[in-house]
Amino acid sequence: MPSTVRHAAGGMAVPIGSVVFAFLVGGVIVAATGGDPLSAYAGLLCGGFGLACANGENTALQLSTTIVFFIPLIMTGVAVALPFRAGLFNIGAEGQLLAGSVACTVIGVKFNTLPAPILLPMVLVGGALAGALWAGIAGVLKATIGAHEVVTTIMLNYVAQWLVRFLIVGGPLQLPHGFSVSSPIGAGARLPTFLPNDNSLIIFGLPAGVYRVHTGLLIALAALAVFAFLLWRTSLGYEIRAVGQSQRAARYAGINVPRTIIVTMLIAGAFSGLAGAIQIAGVDHNLSDKFFNDTTGFDAIAVALLGLGSAVGILLASILFGALHAGGSVMQADAGISSSLVQVLQALILFSIAANFLRVLGGRFRRRPAAPASQAPGAALMTEAAKAPPGDGQT
Amino acid sequence: MTFLSDIAHLLITADLWRATLEAAALLLLPALGGVISERSGVVNIAMEGMMLTGAFFAVVADLALHNPWLAALVGIAAGGFMALIHAVVSIRFRADQIVSGIAINIFAAGMTLFLVNRIYGLQDIGHVGQSNLLPYVNIPILDQIPFVGRVLFQQNVVVYAALILLVLVNIVLFRTRLGLRIRAVGEHPQAADTAGINVYAIRYGAVITSGLLSGLAGAFLAIGISNTFVPNMTDGRGYIALAAMIFGKWRPFGAFIACLIFGFGQAIYDANSVIHVSQYLLSMLPYVLTLIVLAGIVGRSIPPASDGIPYSPGTE
Repeated sequence: MPSTVRHAAGGMAVPIGSVVFAFLVGGVIVAATGGDPLSAYAGLLCGGFGLACANGENTALQLSTTIVFFIPLIMTGVAVALPFRAGLFNIGAEGQLLAGSVACTVIGVKFNTLPAPILLPMVLVGGALAGALWAGIAGVLKATIGAHEVVTTIMLNYVAQWLVRFLIVGGPLQLPHGFSVSSPIGAGARLPTFLPNDNSLIIFGLPAGVYRVHTGLLIALAALAVFAFLLWRTSLGYEIRAVGQSQRAARYAGINVPRTIIVTMLIAGAFSGLAGAIQIAGVDHNLSDKFFNDTTGFDAIAVALLGLGSAVGILLASILFGALHAGGSVMQADAGISSSLVQVLQALILFSIAANFLRVLGGRFRRRPAAPASQAPGAALMTEAAKAPPGDGQT
Repeated sequence: MTFLSDIAHLLITADLWRATLEAAALLLLPALGGVISERSGVVNIAMEGMMLTGAFFAVVADLALHNPWLAALVGIAAGGFMALIHAVVSIRFRADQIVSGIAINIFAAGMTLFLVNRIYGLQDIGHVGQSNLLPYVNIPILDQIPFVGRVLFQQNVVVYAALILLVLVNIVLFRTRLGLRIRAVGEHPQAADTAGINVYAIRYGAVITSGLLSGLAGAFLAIGISNTFVPNMTDGRGYIALAAMIFGKWRPFGAFIACLIFGFGQAIYDANSVIHVSQYLLSMLPYVLTLIVLAGIVGRSIPPASDGIPYSPGTE
């Protein structure tokens, strides 16, 4: 038992250290620009978890906001973490999410009269398929001719972003006489919230309608379970991990590497696309200019890395980033510190995890001989993938 | 028929080609930076963030110093500083270069917005006066040549600088010992190290150079083409430059041709009175074209062999 605890603690050291590092440097940045780091972080804590609130913010409301933020982060976090295991870096979760949002909106608007038992599965499956298609392009290009998935997914992100803008600004999805919004999806396409949208019902001091936590939460938690099961309890999961460890070894073991790569990307894209569909079906109910600046799919990279690619880690990291997003606006209102500090913190966490500052510096301070190349999780996974295009027999 | 003649008319206007070259030069600077960095073996997807930082600090400096030249230098240095972070994290700490690049881009977007709010409050950052912008300079005599004069010799100083840098980078990369070393380090660092080349020094130099070039592009955007800083004003141009680098197969002139194609799309949009294509569909063009190139339809685009792999002595 103690060794298990020590193992778990050791595994947590890098992510926790990275978060602490980010908050320390972030505090220095706030202080250096004449702000008060403590009141800034109090604002984040209040906005994220409803604790230590200066201006009487409602705890339940803040928690519900955090939950609404972290639902798509879980799904896209899985969409980044799964390909990581196969040695693939999917930075296209954003584009896949947008593809899912578009598909959900198109179906939800076009068939808006259908009842929920038919329409809701349609929009969710449609979103997942669209995301899978978007990621599948990168998967096929990688598996067949070795085009680097980082580059292709970046390109696909931007194609999706401009596609969304085209569709709702003067394009076919724009609400007649509306501005930068689509028509709302039908009532049958909407994911129900846990609490009724009934303003006469008062819960925790506020009308029940303000709490936006929706049943997409259950889908996200199920996605985490599916992710863990797929990875550790199925032969496909074994193949994915084998390809991630060494493509060459996987090939000699008889694993069809190109097929595994394509399937991995399709599944990852489906998770992201489902996240986008859930966002429309559960929260927004239409495609709007809000999606122009959406960063969920990029936050997902930090979520997957901070969560070390495990289901529990992804859940915890999603909660953290959801809380940071919810906390940003409260920090801005209460402490007068721009909510963009959240982005800065996120970048610092990424730097710290990627560079593994703690281990490298620790090695130096203890005056050990040159530390062996202690690669960050992403780097270790990437180098093998970067070496040889799959199916490239000569290597 | 009038539509075709309208297009024909548009294509023979010097202003369209002049705008194409200007837009191309803006993309060319970070694309050249990317070529240098990746030729040395360090993946750089952070041109976006370096440009944005350069743009912000160029405007801050110009508002304070009222001198576009000093402001451009500040912007260049700011881009170089961001590149230095990328270099330290990915060379010294052997971090994943893609994660580091993403972090740089997020950091730049968050930090510039944060600083705008801290320094200028919620108001506008303010506009740079006309006399303090990087100037448009007509080259005497040559600018009088019909058509060509307008296209080539009535441009912003940064456009001329970008074209000179294009030739310079090409010569350095392929005609000098330094260039040979950069490429050797990017293809096979172990062999280069054995031959006495300082792998780390070359890579630091290459990454920082990419930041300086991106910073200049940011300054050009903010205090040349525009006259103020707007949050996230680069709007994906750093990523288009990345696309241009790949489209051009990691070669300076290849990247330039890609920049011209992408810049032409931009110029067409700006002259949209004739061709009614959605600006958003046109904006997709660079990314779609690059995907097509990556798909191998127009010949394969292969990165340097050790691109993206941190170097540690004694491995392999």
